Amino acid sequence: MEVMEEATEFVLSHPSAEKSGWMGHTDLWEVKEEHMRARILSILAYTGAGLTLLIAVCVPFVLFQSFSNVVAHAGLHIDPTYSGGTIARTIQRDGYRIVVYQTVKPRLLERAEPFVQIVFEPADSLPARVSDEVDLDGDGRPDVRISFSVPADATAKMHGDVTALNGGYVSLANVADESFSRMVVRAGNQIVVRVPVK
Amino acid sequence: MASQSSSLRRPVAFRGVGRSILLTLPIALWSLLMFTPSFQRSGLDLRIASAVTIVFMTTLFFLMMRTGETYRWRRIFFVAVGFLFPFGFIASLIAERGSMSIPVSRMVSGDTPFCFMVTPSLILPAAFARTIIFPGSILPTASNPRSIAAMIGIWFAMTLVLGKAWCSYACFFGGIEEGFASFAKRPRLHKLVVRYSHILRLVPWAILVFVVLVSAAIFEPVYCMWLCPFKAVTEFPAVRNVETAIQMGIFVALFVGLVVVLPYLTKKRTQCGFFCPFGAFQSIFNKINLFEIRFNREKCVDCTLCQTSCPTVALSKESIAEGKTLLNCMKCGACVDVCKKDAAVWHLKGTPVAVKPERARLLFLYGAWAMATMFGGSILANSVATMMHWLPWK
Repeated sequence: MEVMEEATEFVLSHPSAEKSGWMGHTDLWEVKEEHMRARILSILAYTGAGLTLLIAVCVPFVLFQSFSNVVAHAGLHIDPTYSGGTIARTIQRDGYRIVVYQTVKPRLLERAEPFVQIVFEPADSLPARVSDEVDLDGDGRPDVRISFSVPADATAKMHGDVTALNGGYVSLANVADESFSRMVVRAGNQIVVRVPVK
Repeated sequence: MASQSSSLRRPVAFRGVGRSILLTLPIALWSLLMFTPSFQRSGLDLRIASAVTIVFMTTLFFLMMRTGETYRWRRIFFVAVGFLFPFGFIASLIAERGSMSIPVSRMVSGDTPFCFMVTPSLILPAAFARTIIFPGSILPTASNPRSIAAMIGIWFAMTLVLGKAWCSYACFFGGIEEGFASFAKRPRLHKLVVRYSHILRLVPWAILVFVVLVSAAIFEPVYCMWLCPFKAVTEFPAVRNVETAIQMGIFVALFVGLVVVLPYLTKKRTQCGFFCPFGAFQSIFNKINLFEIRFNREKCVDCTLCQTSCPTVALSKESIAEGKTLLNCMKCGACVDVCKKDAAVWHLKGTPVAVKPERARLLFLYGAWAMATMFGGSILANSVATMMHWLPWK
């Protein structure tokens, strides 16, 4: 009986009680049911709030790292327009190496031109003036001649020239960092050269 | 907002000192826990800055408990983060590369620090082409600790706790315009904002759809490259041709217009409320968050004080009549604090409205302030440490 009284009192105090017009024609079983429903909902709500607090406590210790790992191992990769794509082959030179990447072909509406990235590394082992003929497509014949001076100051802006030795590539004169597909820049201990492909 | 602060409804203490201290204790302990690594590291500047941050965050929470007000104290924290973040960030950029501009060489080597604002634009290319259209690195590197995986991880974990409240407890940009909005004594374009609020609040959704679709189509983070006002006070692509010069011009114009001038004239967070696509995206998470603001219709006298005080026009007459806020409510607490009839209340979904609202507020604030201390607090500490490093006698 005490439960019923408590339930009646609760429903009377509930803002929706008056709105729904239950008074006078709702029997006590309905009142009890309503009470139970509200109680279960409240229990669920407070459980949810407790879980939210638990999540908050776990964020810096477990969750942040777990979610980061999910992103890191989702098989995603940086767009080749920024990263340069995948490595095709490495050419060893005296004291340094040239890394040739596969041709990056932009997607349908992408603004960048198709290009090949060529990396000279380590930059601090390069001679003061580099002029190299490089085979880009792997057919054994050089496709471009790349020339640039390596400034002593690693932060100085670089310029270089690319001479196409066959019709498949675009020559560049005194290029610096015009666009993502035309550049000769220093990035850390590497000299990154990007040559547009016709 | 000066006029709001003066009309706050609780001029006297809401809770006793002892009880307020007791309720603040968990946050004090959390703050100590969060900044313990800073004390273990070398560097007196960072240790002092961390100690100052612990005191700052704990004191603000104590004042929230003591006065029963949320908005005023949250705003102090938020504006401090907003104004100090660019100091710390710019200083780190200048120390690292001597300039705020990011050269192409750093982009191709994956050294662009990731910003959460770009997250919505990444979803479609990541889902359909497994490609991230941002010139950063997925895993942290020595030259770029703010990696994509780390930043998305922290954003998602915090979003589970905060929902759209991210925009008032975590976003390090929103505080800048909230600061400029609070400088003016009264709004000058209030009627204009109210008249067109039904259109204005749809603009962020339109921009969100636009940047998500165009970014997916052209494989570029369109918002970052063309529309982000905060590039003007953080970093931006180095000006090297006409295109990058136009980009820079847009960043500066948007910053001056949406973050400085309009907030001052309207006393609203105009960039957040009428422009930010990330804010619109974040609104979706309000659906899964358990905390909200509701209106007790029995007490409400339709004075519209709450509507006037809302910094992001997340209230309309219709929504108030239904006893709810709109989806873009960021739970800053301005409407609750300004309501003289106690009709605006904190609410835990699933419980009866206006029954134990303070319990709902406390449960929300513990989570929100814990996140604010962890994320915003570390930004504050680092920025204060940077400023101390510049002190003339050092």
